[in-house]
Amino acid sequence: MSDNPEHTPRALDGRAPDVLRPGGWVPMRQYDEDDAVDFAIVGTGAGGGTLACKLAEYGFSVVALDAGPYWRPLDDFASDEHHQAKLYWTDERIVDGDNPLQLGANNSGKSVGGSTVHFAMVSLRFRPEWFKARSKLGYGVDWPLDWREMWRYYAEVENALKISGPVNYPWGPKRPRYPYRAHEVNAAGLVLAEGAEALGIAWSPTPLATVSAPRGRSPPCVYRGMCVIGCSTNAKQSVLITWLPRALKAGAEIRDLAMVGRVEHDKSGRVTGVRYHRRGRWRFQRAKNVVVAGYSIETPRLLLNSASSRYPDGLANSSGLVGKNLMVQANQAVWGIMEREIRAYKGPPSLAITEHWNYTDTGKDFFGGYAYMSQGPLPLVWSGVESSERGLWGQPLIDEMERYNHQVGLKIVGELMPQERNRVTLADERDQYGLPISRVTYSYCDNDKRLIAHSLAFMRQALEAAGATEIWDETDDTCHLNGTARMGDDPKTSVVNADCRSWDIPNLWICDGSVFPTVGGVNPSLTIQAIACRTADRIKALAARNEL
Amino acid sequence: MTRADPTLDLIANAALAGAAVLLVARPRLIARVARSPLLPTTRDVAVAAARLIAPPAPPPLHWRVAKVRELARLVGKYSPARLRSTRDIVKKAARRLNGSTALLAFLVLADSAVEHYRGSFANRAMYTPLAIAALTLAGSVFGLADARPNRHAVRDGIYAVAAVTGLAGLCFHAYNILKRPGGLSWLNLFYAAPIGAPFALTLAGLLGRGAERVRDVLPRRRPTILGMPAGRTLAAVSAVGLAGTVGEAGLLHFRGAFQDPAMVLPVTVPPVAAALLGAAALRPTLKTNRLARRWLKLTALLGMGGVGFHIFGVARNMGGWRNWSQNVLNGPPLPAPPSFTGLALAGLAALSLIEDETDA
Amino acid sequence: MPDRYPGYDVLQKRNSPSWNDQTRAVIDRRMAIDPDHHGFFTDAEWPTLRAICERIVPQPPDRAQRAPVAAMVDEKMHKNSGDGYRDARLPPMREAWQRALAAIDAEATSRYGRRFHEIGALLQDDLLKAIQNGEVDEKAWDDLPAKVFFKMRLLHDIVSSYYAHPAAWSEIGFGGPASPRGYVRMYFDRRDPWEAAEARSGNEGRARAENARVG
Repeated sequence: MSDNPEHTPRALDGRAPDVLRPGGWVPMRQYDEDDAVDFAIVGTGAGGGTLACKLAEYGFSVVALDAGPYWRPLDDFASDEHHQAKLYWTDERIVDGDNPLQLGANNSGKSVGGSTVHFAMVSLRFRPEWFKARSKLGYGVDWPLDWREMWRYYAEVENALKISGPVNYPWGPKRPRYPYRAHEVNAAGLVLAEGAEALGIAWSPTPLATVSAPRGRSPPCVYRGMCVIGCSTNAKQSVLITWLPRALKAGAEIRDLAMVGRVEHDKSGRVTGVRYHRRGRWRFQRAKNVVVAGYSIETPRLLLNSASSRYPDGLANSSGLVGKNLMVQANQAVWGIMEREIRAYKGPPSLAITEHWNYTDTGKDFFGGYAYMSQGPLPLVWSGVESSERGLWGQPLIDEMERYNHQVGLKIVGELMPQERNRVTLADERDQYGLPISRVTYSYCDNDKRLIAHSLAFMRQALEAAGATEIWDETDDTCHLNGTARMGDDPKTSVVNADCRSWDIPNLWICDGSVFPTVGGVNPSLTIQAIACRTADRIKALAARNEL
Repeated sequence: MTRADPTLDLIANAALAGAAVLLVARPRLIARVARSPLLPTTRDVAVAAARLIAPPAPPPLHWRVAKVRELARLVGKYSPARLRSTRDIVKKAARRLNGSTALLAFLVLADSAVEHYRGSFANRAMYTPLAIAALTLAGSVFGLADARPNRHAVRDGIYAVAAVTGLAGLCFHAYNILKRPGGLSWLNLFYAAPIGAPFALTLAGLLGRGAERVRDVLPRRRPTILGMPAGRTLAAVSAVGLAGTVGEAGLLHFRGAFQDPAMVLPVTVPPVAAALLGAAALRPTLKTNRLARRWLKLTALLGMGGVGFHIFGVARNMGGWRNWSQNVLNGPPLPAPPSFTGLALAGLAALSLIEDETDA
Repeated sequence: MPDRYPGYDVLQKRNSPSWNDQTRAVIDRRMAIDPDHHGFFTDAEWPTLRAICERIVPQPPDRAQRAPVAAMVDEKMHKNSGDGYRDARLPPMREAWQRALAAIDAEATSRYGRRFHEIGALLQDDLLKAIQNGEVDEKAWDDLPAKVFFKMRLLHDIVSSYYAHPAAWSEIGFGGPASPRGYVRMYFDRRDPWEAAEARSGNEGRARAENARVG
C-alpha cells in the first residue's frame, strides 16, 4: 500500500495529513536540516505536541519528531482491538523487578499525538497539596511549582480540549466550569454511583476529553466504547486532533516515522541537534534547543543513549537521576457480577469517578491517595484479566466470559511512591534501529502495598453495597508512567528545573511525564499538558529577556 | 383594528421572514456576522429594533377631537357590522386554537414516540402519551373541520384527559429523575426523563379546552374562561407554556454547551414574546399587543426554523443521516422546536380575542 | 449448556452502520484465515499447539465457523508482533514458544508415553494445570520458567487470539465493531436493537427472535 502511514511518512513535501477529513491534507512549513531551528522536539504526545503548538504560536521555529505514524483516524482506525494494537509502542522492552510492569497497550503509544491517541481521556487536576507533597502531606518531594499558577494552566488545557465535565466538581478548590457538559453515565458508572451513595461518599461524572456536543469537525461522542483503541470519530480530543493542527497552522513542522536515536552536543557541551532515522537512513536536524518529550521510558533511554566522552553517564545526568524514580500508578480493581445487565462496553470506559480518597487524609494507613473509576474493558482486555490475572482457562474461562455483559468493576488510579530503585536502564539487546533497548525495573514499596490493600477493601464494600456478587480482586495491574527525569529546585536532587530546563545543559529541555517528582492519584495527561503550556510561557519570557 | 403603519409592518415582517430563512439556510454566515466586531452590540441592536417596532406615541389630541372619537367608537361598537365582526373574530380564534392544539398534540405524539422508543417502553405507562396525544390530535383536526359553533363534549373530554395525562407524566418523569443516583442533579436533568416534556400535553389539553369554550358562546357575548375574558386567560396559558418551553430549550442547549451561536435564539426570542404576551394578558394596551404580535410571529418562525437547525444537528453527528438509527435518538430532537410555533400561534389567537375585548 | 445469546451473530451487523469499510476489511481478513495454515510453527509443533488451543479455549463442536485460534497464534509468531514488553525471565517470544512446545511434549512423553496431542483431554488438562502451577520437570523445561511462560505467553497469546474472533464476540454477547454507529441506551438492562438479546429463563424464543433482527 502506498499510503500506509506505518511504512511511509505522510508529513512530506510541504503538507501534512488533515486529521479531521478523510484523505485530507493541510499545508505544512518545512525546515532545512542544516538550518538550526529554535526548537527540535522529540515526541509529539501530551508534552511534546502541546509544547510544539505553543512555541510555534509564540513565533519560534519548531520541528517536532515522532517515531510513530501520522494517522487520520477517520481513514485508518478500525473497530477492532487486535488490529488497533498498531497504536502502541510494541518494540521490545525488558521488564523485571518484584512487580514487572506491563507496557505496550497499557501505557505506551507510538503515534503522532503519542499515548493520547489511545488514552482513556480522563482529565483531572492534581490536588493542590500534591505540588507540596513533602511539606504539606509528609511524603515524597515538593514540586518547584505553585498550584495556583498550575490552576491557570489547567484551565487553559481544559478549554483547548473542550473537556466535558460536571457542572459542579465535588472536590478541590473552585475551578471554572468545564467547557462542555458531562456525558451521560452508563450502567457501569451508575454502579459506582450507587456504591458511593450507599457508603456516604461523593461521586461525579468523570471530566473527559471527548466532546458531548459538536465541536468544529468533531462530532459528539457516539458511545462506541473503543476509546482506548483509538477514536475513529474524532470525538476524542487527543493531541493529534487538537494541539497539532494548531501547531501546523502556526508554522511548526512535524516529522512522522522519525526515530531519534541520539542528541548531539558540541565541545562546549551545548546540544546542537538530534540524530534521527527516517525514510531508511540516519539524518541530523540542527537546533538551537532540543526538547526531549518521549515519556518516561523513551526519554531516559534517549538521554542515556546519547552518552559521550564529555557526558559518560548520558545527557543531563550529573545528578545520576536520569532513569530513576520511575513511577507508575496503582491500577488494582475489584470485579463482580450484577443481576442487571451492565454492558460496560458502551460509552467511554470510565464515566464515573470518586476522588474521595484523594481529598480525605483521615482513615488511611498510607501516604498518597487514589481515585477510583467505573470500567468498561473490551473483550480482549477482559479475557486477559480473566485468564492471565485470574488464572482461568478452558471451560471455566468460556463460562466466565459469557457473563461479560453482567460484570462490573471499580478500578483505582493510585499514587505510588517515588523510589530510586525503580528505574529505566539500557539492556544489552538492540532494537531495529540498532539502539540499546530499555530495561524497566519496578517493585512496590510497603506504602504502595498498604494503599492497594486499602483501596481493594474499600472498593469491595462499594461494589457489595451496589448489589454485586462473586466479587474478586485484581491485584496486579498498574497504569501510566511518570518520573525518570524529575524537576526540582536543586541540581543535585533533580534533572530539570521548574521550567523543564535541564540543569546541566541550558539548551536541553525535558517536557513530558518524566519530570513529575510525585504522581498523585489522578491520570497524568492533563497535568503534562498544563506543564507544557507553562514551559512555553516560561520559554517565551526567557527569550524576551535573552536568557535562552 | 387599525394599523399604525402598514408600510413599517410590511417591512418588519419581510425582514423577519428573510432573517428566518437566512438562519436556516446559512447558519454559519449568520454566526460569523453576529460575531463580527463591526456590528454594534446585541443590546444596541435590541434597543434600535425596539424603537423601530414601537413608534413613538402620537401627540395628545385636543379634548374635543378625543370626545368625538370616543363617541364614534361607541357607535361602532354596537353597530350590527361590528357584532358580526366580533363573531367572526371569535370563531376564527377558536379554529386557530384548534390548530395550535393539533400541532402541539402532533409534536407530543412524535416526541414521546421517539423518546419512549429510546426508553425501550420499559414501563407500559410509556404508551399512554402516544395514545392520548393521538386522540388529542384527532379531536383537534375534527375541531378544525367542525363549522358548528358549539362545544363538543367528546373533544372537551379528550382535552381534559390530555391535560391530566400531562400532569401525571410530569410526576413519572420527576420520579425517574429522583430515583437515579444523584437525584435532582444537572446530570439527571440532562439525561433522565426530560422533566418538561409531558407539560406539552397538558398545554395541548388546556388550549383545546380553551378553544371549546371560545367557540361555545352566545351571540352578542364574548367568551370567558374561569370568569375572565377568554383571550386574557388563554394568553396567560400560552405565555406560561412558552416560558416552560424556553426552560426546556435552555436546559438542553446548556447540555449542548451552546456550541452553535444559533442555540441562543430559543432562549432569547421566545422569552420576550412570552413576557409581552403575559403583559398583554394582565394589562392589554394597543402598544403591548402590537409588540407581542411581532415577537410571537418571530417565535413561530423560529420554531419552524429550529427544525432546520436540528436536521442539520443530526447531520453533524457521526455518520450523519446514514446513521439515523442512532442520531435521530442522540442528536437534537426534531419535534422539539415547533412547540414554540404551536404556542406562539395560540398566543396570536389569544391576542385577537384580547384585541376584540379591548376594542369593545 | 444452552446459548446465553441464542441465534446472535455479530457478523449480521457487517453491512449495518455499525461497521465501516476499514473494519470490514480487517475482519474479512481474519475470517479468511485458514485454520490449518502455519507459517511459523513446524509440522511437528503444530499438532501440539492445536491441542493446547483446544483445551485453553474449547469451542462447541457444532459451531459453524470456529475461530482458527492456533493459526492466529501462528500468525502472531510469523509476524513477530510483540506486545511491547517481555518479562526478563523469558527469552524472546518466538524462542519461548518453540522451547515451551518442545518441553510440553517432553513432559507428556515422560508422564504418559505419548505426545501431548495424543493423550486425551483429561490428561491434557492435568498437564496444563501442572504447568500453570509450575509443577514440571525442570530438565524438560531447561531453565524456561514454566509458570511464567504459562501466564505471560501461553494464556496471553491463545486467549487474546480467540477473543479477537467474531465467533467469540457472538458467544459473549459483545456488540462488536461500532463505528460510525455506537450506542444509544446506556442504562441498566437496556439494549439497542442492534445489540445481542440475552435469554433469561422462559424468554429464549423471544431472545432468538430479537437476535435474528439484529443488524
